[in-house]
Amino acid sequence: MHMANELLSIPVATGTLAIAAGSLGFICRKVRQVIAAEKLALMGILGAFVFAAQMVNFQLPAMPGTSGHMVGAVLLAIILGPHLAAIVISSVVIVQCLIFQDGGLLALGCNIINMALVPSYLGYFLYRTITNGRFSSLKVYIGAMLACVIATEAGAILVAIQAALSGVLAVPLSTFLITMIGVHFLVGFVEGLVTVTVLAYLQQLRPDIVADSLPGTVRLSKNAVLATLGILAVLIGAGLSLLASDLPDGLEWSYAERPDEPEFETVVSNPDSRITAIDDFQSKYSLMPDYTARASKLGDVADQQADVGAGWTSFAGVVGSVFTMAVIWLTAWMLRRKQAL
Amino acid sequence: MHHAHIDKFAYQDSAIHRLDSRVKFLVVLVFTAVVISLPRSSLSILACYAIGPFAVLVWAKIPLKFVFKQILLVSPFVIVLALSCPLYDRTPVAVSFGPFSWQSSLGWLRCFVILGKFIVTMLALIGLVSTTRFSDLLAGLQKLGLPRLLIIQLGFLYRYIFVLIDRAHHILRARAGRKLRNLGFKTELRTAASMLGSLFIRSIDTAEHISIAMQARGFDGNWRTISKLKVRRCDLFFVLTAAVFVSGLYFFVKPILQ
Repeated sequence: MHMANELLSIPVATGTLAIAAGSLGFICRKVRQVIAAEKLALMGILGAFVFAAQMVNFQLPAMPGTSGHMVGAVLLAIILGPHLAAIVISSVVIVQCLIFQDGGLLALGCNIINMALVPSYLGYFLYRTITNGRFSSLKVYIGAMLACVIATEAGAILVAIQAALSGVLAVPLSTFLITMIGVHFLVGFVEGLVTVTVLAYLQQLRPDIVADSLPGTVRLSKNAVLATLGILAVLIGAGLSLLASDLPDGLEWSYAERPDEPEFETVVSNPDSRITAIDDFQSKYSLMPDYTARASKLGDVADQQADVGAGWTSFAGVVGSVFTMAVIWLTAWMLRRKQAL
Repeated sequence: MHHAHIDKFAYQDSAIHRLDSRVKFLVVLVFTAVVISLPRSSLSILACYAIGPFAVLVWAKIPLKFVFKQILLVSPFVIVLALSCPLYDRTPVAVSFGPFSWQSSLGWLRCFVILGKFIVTMLALIGLVSTTRFSDLLAGLQKLGLPRLLIIQLGFLYRYIFVLIDRAHHILRARAGRKLRNLGFKTELRTAASMLGSLFIRSIDTAEHISIAMQARGFDGNWRTISKLKVRRCDLFFVLTAAVFVSGLYFFVKPILQ
């Protein structure tokens, strides 16, 4: 579920980048005050462990040919605490982008939020709330399971919301959401199973690791988490309710034209010549000119004559570009052959 | 060690490789942003934008086969989402391309624009990553203001990623040698979990050894590098060329091709 550049619009990409950078900076500053130097190596290597762990795959039942592997955010959050896990998984996401080219550069903010920050904190919080009090293995099971499923789902839902906010895809949000939730329920479920079994294995072999006895564990204040969770829930709820329908939202409805009622008077319109001039200027030079206006023009049969001319220019553009690339490649090839001789 | 050195081309030498990592990073970032913000109905302008990263890749002697294999490897999610566009957006559009002209739907147009943008931005990203050593990139990112803790974390991660992947390969080979059939989900899961658990324990032990060794050598949590980062004249030239290329296409070619 790596988000890609082209599924995002610039405002969403920069917004999420800013949020991710801000929270990562904050977490780093906070952790830096408590962490001992010897934990640095541990964090780095556990990041590498996440990569190695993704290679250990196993057959899934009922679906021959597919295999599951684990992501590890919740496992690390349970063992290391949410702050360190957030940093470790963020670094994994950054390396996935910069070395394996998985997910784009502009989508990095989204990916850090969806796959590192939300799963670590949400997973840790759920696990802690459920296993609170007297230890029992049933509680650990339910806690880790729920943490994995809900954390994965939250990331998947965020992917759908970010894509919908960007408006690049033609898929209606509800369909996209349902698909993402369905697929990631399975992913989260397998992740939960693996996490629980790995935890059980670790408890058998090295109870010291799981018993919160790793030095320098950062504790989390419950109120802070509750507050963040509340804010997030409100944000997600608000986003969902705004986007759930394919109709324009109330605000847009009030000032836009209504195609079903041509006599509908636009509530907000400013006939001032300066305003219209600025509007024209913006639609001409803005980074994201309104898409549908041009598209509907494209579809108009009356404009077909004009389109033929446009077709030729775009043809020239493509052919010229391909030709330029061929020239670049040939020049490089000839230069290199000359060097080799 | 059998793993593919995914960033082996970063250790080559060329004029592109010698450019300052900060300069390359920022140019790729701006390039990506501009490509993403191009209108969603114009495909041909994307071909023009592809020239830039293509030239860089060719100049830096990165094999194009490697580049396209890499793009194909990371594309499934985008391809699935792009292919969903024609299903939902059936607004008919008349498309004319040179001597050809046919009836298509807006969804297909969107689908191809998404894929085109994906390829162009991936070309740029691969151009950055396969011409810059990761350590140089980290030094540049630190200069650009990334938190030091994150830089140290990324440095460690990169140093040990291949070591641990190698270890995982050993464990996987051991399982393949002992397991000759599908054992059913429960046993498979338990085996995988034991493998992961032992890998985890070994990682933690390695980390302990490393941190003892590092402390013995005076590591106090600060990362000291012999940083030679300096913006030279060729870096400025690169930025200028990139700026002229990107803005020239944006302001002069884009209006024509629309």
